[in-house]
Amino acid sequence: MTTLPTPAGSTAHTVPDGTNYAAQVVDAVKVYGAGATEVRALDGVSVGFPVGQFTAIMGPSGSGKSTLMHCAAGLDTLTSGSAFIADTELSALDDRRLTLLRRERVGFVFQAFNLLPTLTVAENISLPLDLAGQRADPDWLESLIDVVGLGGRLRHRPSELSGGQQQRVAVARALASRPDVVFADEPTGNLDSRSGEEVLGLLGRAVRTMARTVVMVTHDPVAAAHADEVIMLADGRLVDRMPNPTAERVLDRLKAFDRSTEAARAVAS
Amino acid sequence: MSGNRAAARISLASLRAHKRRFVGTFFAVLLGVAFLGGTLVMGDTLRASFDTMFGNATSGTDAVVRSADAITTPDDGAGSREPVATSLARDLKRVDGVAAAEPSIQGAGQLVGKDGDAVGGQGPPTLAGNWITDEELGAYQLADGRAPRAPGEAVINRGAAKTGDLDIGDSTVLRTPQPVKIKIVGIATFGGEDGMGQVTFTGLTQEDAERYLTAKPGQAASIQVRAGPDVSQDELVKRLEPVLPGGIEAITGQESAEENLDQISGAFLTMFTALLLVFAGVALLVATFSIHNTFAIVVAQRTRENALLRALGAARRQVMAGALTEAAVVGVAASLAGLLGGIGLAAGLQALFRAVGFPFPEGDLVISALSLLLPLVVGVVVCMGSALAPALRAGRTAPLAALRETAVDHSGASRARTLTGAVLGAVGVGVTVLGVLADTPSVMLTAIGSVLTLAAFVVVGPVASSLAVRALSGPLGSLRGVTGALAGRNALRSPKRTAATATALMIGVSVVSLFTVFAASLKATMNETVSRTFAGDVAVSVPAFGGGGSGLSPGLAPALDKLPQVDTALGLGRGVAKVDGSGRQLTVTDPAALSGVLNLGDVEGNFTGLGKSGIAVSASEAAKHHWRLGSTTQLTFTDGQRQSFTVRAVYEEKDLAGEYIITREAWAPHRAQDADSLVAVSFKDDEAASDGKEAVEKVAMNWGNPEVQTRDEWAESSAGGIDMMLTLVYALLALAVLIALLGIANTLTLAVHERTRELGLLRAVGQTQAQLRAMVRWESVLVAAFGTLGGLGLGGFLGWALVKAAVNSGDGAFALPPQQLAVVGLVGVAAGALAAWRPARRAARLDVLRAIATE
Repeated sequence: MTTLPTPAGSTAHTVPDGTNYAAQVVDAVKVYGAGATEVRALDGVSVGFPVGQFTAIMGPSGSGKSTLMHCAAGLDTLTSGSAFIADTELSALDDRRLTLLRRERVGFVFQAFNLLPTLTVAENISLPLDLAGQRADPDWLESLIDVVGLGGRLRHRPSELSGGQQQRVAVARALASRPDVVFADEPTGNLDSRSGEEVLGLLGRAVRTMARTVVMVTHDPVAAAHADEVIMLADGRLVDRMPNPTAERVLDRLKAFDRSTEAARAVAS
Repeated sequence: MSGNRAAARISLASLRAHKRRFVGTFFAVLLGVAFLGGTLVMGDTLRASFDTMFGNATSGTDAVVRSADAITTPDDGAGSREPVATSLARDLKRVDGVAAAEPSIQGAGQLVGKDGDAVGGQGPPTLAGNWITDEELGAYQLADGRAPRAPGEAVINRGAAKTGDLDIGDSTVLRTPQPVKIKIVGIATFGGEDGMGQVTFTGLTQEDAERYLTAKPGQAASIQVRAGPDVSQDELVKRLEPVLPGGIEAITGQESAEENLDQISGAFLTMFTALLLVFAGVALLVATFSIHNTFAIVVAQRTRENALLRALGAARRQVMAGALTEAAVVGVAASLAGLLGGIGLAAGLQALFRAVGFPFPEGDLVISALSLLLPLVVGVVVCMGSALAPALRAGRTAPLAALRETAVDHSGASRARTLTGAVLGAVGVGVTVLGVLADTPSVMLTAIGSVLTLAAFVVVGPVASSLAVRALSGPLGSLRGVTGALAGRNALRSPKRTAATATALMIGVSVVSLFTVFAASLKATMNETVSRTFAGDVAVSVPAFGGGGSGLSPGLAPALDKLPQVDTALGLGRGVAKVDGSGRQLTVTDPAALSGVLNLGDVEGNFTGLGKSGIAVSASEAAKHHWRLGSTTQLTFTDGQRQSFTVRAVYEEKDLAGEYIITREAWAPHRAQDADSLVAVSFKDDEAASDGKEAVEKVAMNWGNPEVQTRDEWAESSAGGIDMMLTLVYALLALAVLIALLGIANTLTLAVHERTRELGLLRAVGQTQAQLRAMVRWESVLVAAFGTLGGLGLGGFLGWALVKAAVNSGDGAFALPPQQLAVVGLVGVAAGALAAWRPARRAARLDVLRAIATE
C-alpha cells in the first residue's frame, strides 16, 4: 500500500496519553456561507477516533455530525483546524492524493445508494481495489464474503438484493482494502430493524474480530448502542462523550440534552 | 386553452432551467439549417451573378446566325454544329437594320504561362477564337492594350493573364494544339469580370483563327449580328431569315445568352446545388437522430416531474403539449439562428471563392423567399418531428410513476424488435443484391434495398449495440481494468439510447465509406481498364478530366514514331458523327497500327484496309445494331455530309478504343480543329524502354510539353479527378459527422447528469478524476466504435452494391481500400473520444459531497 507523505512536524496522531488515533480532527471549524447567512457547522471541534474502536457520532439535525464525518474522511475540507487519517494531515493533500487516500485507507458506507448498479456484488466489493489496480487478497475477500453472508449472490446485481443485503455488501466493500478507518453515515437509516441489526452486527464484528476502526453517524440510540463510545455534538460543538453506551442511556442523555438546548435557546431568546 | 397555457409556461420554465440539455440539439438544428440555407442562398446568388455577367457580356449581340442542326453525343450536352461560311457575314451586313455582323470562330487553345506551364486545362474550357473587332458585338471587351492586327498578335482575358503571369508585350505559345507563337497586345474582360469563371480566352486575328482553329479557312462557328438603332432583336431575326441559306438559322442574342448560360453555368450550378442539398439532407437526417435521442432522454429523466403533473390533474395532452412546446421553441430559435448562419455562410463562401482565385462573378446576395422559408420550416419540422415520439411517451406517463424511483429506459432488445429488424434486414439486403445480380442491374432496386437496409440497421440497432458493445468492451476491460469495465457497462445500460446515439454517427460514417469505396472502385476499374487494354509502354495524354486543354498536335505521333527506341507511336483523335440518327463519338486513328499499342480483345475481321469507307465497331454496338462484318451504316458528319461505311472489323475491348474507329483519311474531309487526345507509344524492346521515356519527353517538349506517363502513371493520373471529388465530399460530410458528435456529447452530458450519485460514490470510494474522465471517454469511444463499425459495414456493402449496379452493367471492379477505411474508422473512434471531452471534464469536476447528497 502506498504510504502518503506525512506533513513535517505532525505528531497529532498520538496524544500525551499514548492513544493511537485512526482519524482525528483538531480545532475543526467549518463555515458555510458568509455574512448574514453564515452557518458554523463545526465550531472548534477536537476529537480523535482511537484505533480498533467503534465510535458513534450523535446529535440533533444540524448539529454538524455529518459535516464532522465528511471532513474527517477527506470528502470535505475544513475552514480552519486540521484533520488526520492516522498520521496524514488531509489539508496538505490535493484532490488526487485525497482520492488515493480515500481509496486505500478509508472505507465508506452511506445511507443509500452504496453500490454501482452496473457491477455485480463481487465487483462492487472489490471496486476500491480494482480502482487502485490491485489484486485483491483472495483469502481476505473470501473471509469478508463469509462474514457478510452473501456467498451465494456474488454474481447478482444490486437491484436483485434487498436493502439489508445491499448495505451488507457496502460494508464488505468498505472493508475490502483493509482501511485505517471505516466511516458509516446513517448505515441503517433506510433499513427495517432486523436488517439494521445485521448491518450493525457486521460493523461491530469488523472492529472486534478484524481489528478495524469504525466511525458511525446515527440518530438512532439502538444503533449507537452497538458502539464502544458515543460522542455527542450540538450546534457544531462537542458536548459529551459516553463510553460503553446502552440504548436507554443514550436515549436519556439525548432527552436531557434536548431539554437543556431548549432551555439554552429560551434563555438566549 | 388556459390549460395549454399552463403547460406552455411549465415547459418554458423547464427550458430555462435546463438550457444546457438543449445546447446539442440547438447546434444540431442550427448547423443543418445553416447548411441548407447557405446552399440555397449561394445557388441563387451565383445564378443571378452569372446571369448578370452573361447579360453584360452579350448585350451587344442582337442575333446569332448558325447552322440549325447540332449533333449531340451522350458525353457532350452542347453538341457540335456544322460551321457556317465566313462570307455569309458580308451578305448579312447588307440587310437593312444590321449595324454589324462578324464571324465568330471558336476552338480550343491553351496558353502557356510565363513559367512554361500551361494555363488552366483541369476542368473549365480553354478557348481561342477570332477577336471580334466591333466593340459592342464581342463578348470580350478590351480593358488594356489594343486589338490584334498582325499575324501572331493576340488578346487574352485578364484571368488568364493573371494566372499565367503574362502581360502586354510578352511572347508566349498558344497550343491549338500545334504550338503557335503569339505576342500579347491586349488584355480583355468578360462582362466586366476577369473572365467567364475559370474559362481562358485567347483572341486572334480572323486569319490566324481560320488558320489554326478550323479545318478549312472560310468557316466559322457562327455569325454575330448587331442591330442598328430602333431595330429590336426579334425584328432583326425576322429581317435576317429571308437571306439565310438552307440549314442555317438565326436566333436572338437573348436566346443565345440563355443557351450559353444554361450550358455553362446552369448545368454546373444545378449539379453543384443538388450535391450540396444532398449533403444538407444527410446532415439533417443525422441531426434527427441526435435530437430524437436528446428529447427521449430528457423525457425519461423527467418522468417523475411529468407524473407529478399528471397526479395533480394535468391531462395527457397537456403534458405532451408541454414537451412539444419545448421542441418548438428550440426548433424555431435554432432555425432562425441557422438561417442567419446560412446567409453568413453564403457571404463567406462568396468571399472565399474569390480569395482562392475562383472568380465567381461579384454580386449582392440573392435571398429569395424560398431560401428563407424552406430551411426554417425544415428546421422546425425536423426538431418537432424528432420530439414527437418522446412527447407521446411523456403524455403516457402514469401518475404513479411519481412514487417510483426514476426509471431510465432499459428496454431495447425485445424479441419483436430483433425479429422485425432481421426480416427487414433480410429483405433489404435481398433487394439490394437482387438489384445487383439481376440480368440488367438496377440502380433503382439497389437504392430501395439500401434504404430498407438502413431502416433495418436502425430497428435492430439496440440489439446490435448490446452485442457489439459487449464484444468491444471485453478486451477493454482487460486492457483498462475496472475503468474500462465500467465504461462498457455504462454503454450497455440503455441499448436504445446507445443505438440512437451511434446511429447518427453510423449514417455519417456509412456515407463517407460508401463514397470511399465507390471512388476506390472507380479507380480500380480505370486501372484495370488501362492494364487490360493498353498494350503500349508510355502514353502521352491530355488532362483526363474536364473540358480544358486543346488536345495533342497531330504532328506529335509521327515525330515520336521516328525515334529509334519507338516501335509504334499512334495518335488517337476524337470525332463526332450521327450513326443511324444518334450522335456518337468516333475514334480517329490509323487502325492498322492499333493492335501494336492497344489490346482489343477478340477481333473479327481486319483493321487493315479500312480506307475511306470502312469502319470498325465494338462488339456491343454491333450487337445493338445487328451488324456483322460487311454490314453498311450511314454516318452524318457535322458538315452535314452523309456517307456510307462498311463494317470491316468488330472488336471486344472498347474502353480505350471507343465504340467506333475510322481512319484519318475518312475523317479528313469532315474534320474541325485537328487534335489527338492520346498518343500511345510502344518501344522496340526492353533496352529501348529504359531510355525511351526520356526520349519521348524530349520530343514532346517541342509539341507543347504534354504529360508523358508510363502505363502505371497514366492509370494513376486517370483517377486524379476522383480524388479531388472525394476530398470535396469528405469536407461536406464533415458536417454530418460533427452533428453526430454533438449528439454523442449531448447524450453523455445527460447521462452524466443522470448518474450524478453514482459518480459521487465512485469518487468517494477512490476513483480519481483522471479515472472518471477516462471512464466517460471510453464509454463514448465504445459508442462511437459501434457506430463507426456499423457505418463501415453498411457503407462497404452499399458501396459494393452501387458499384456493381451502376458501373457498366456489373463489370466494374470492386475495391475496398483498407488504408482509407482504416483512417475513416480511426477518425470515427477518435471523434468519440473528442466528443467526450467536455462531458468528461464536467463529470470529473463534480463535487463529491453534493453528488452523494443529491435527492
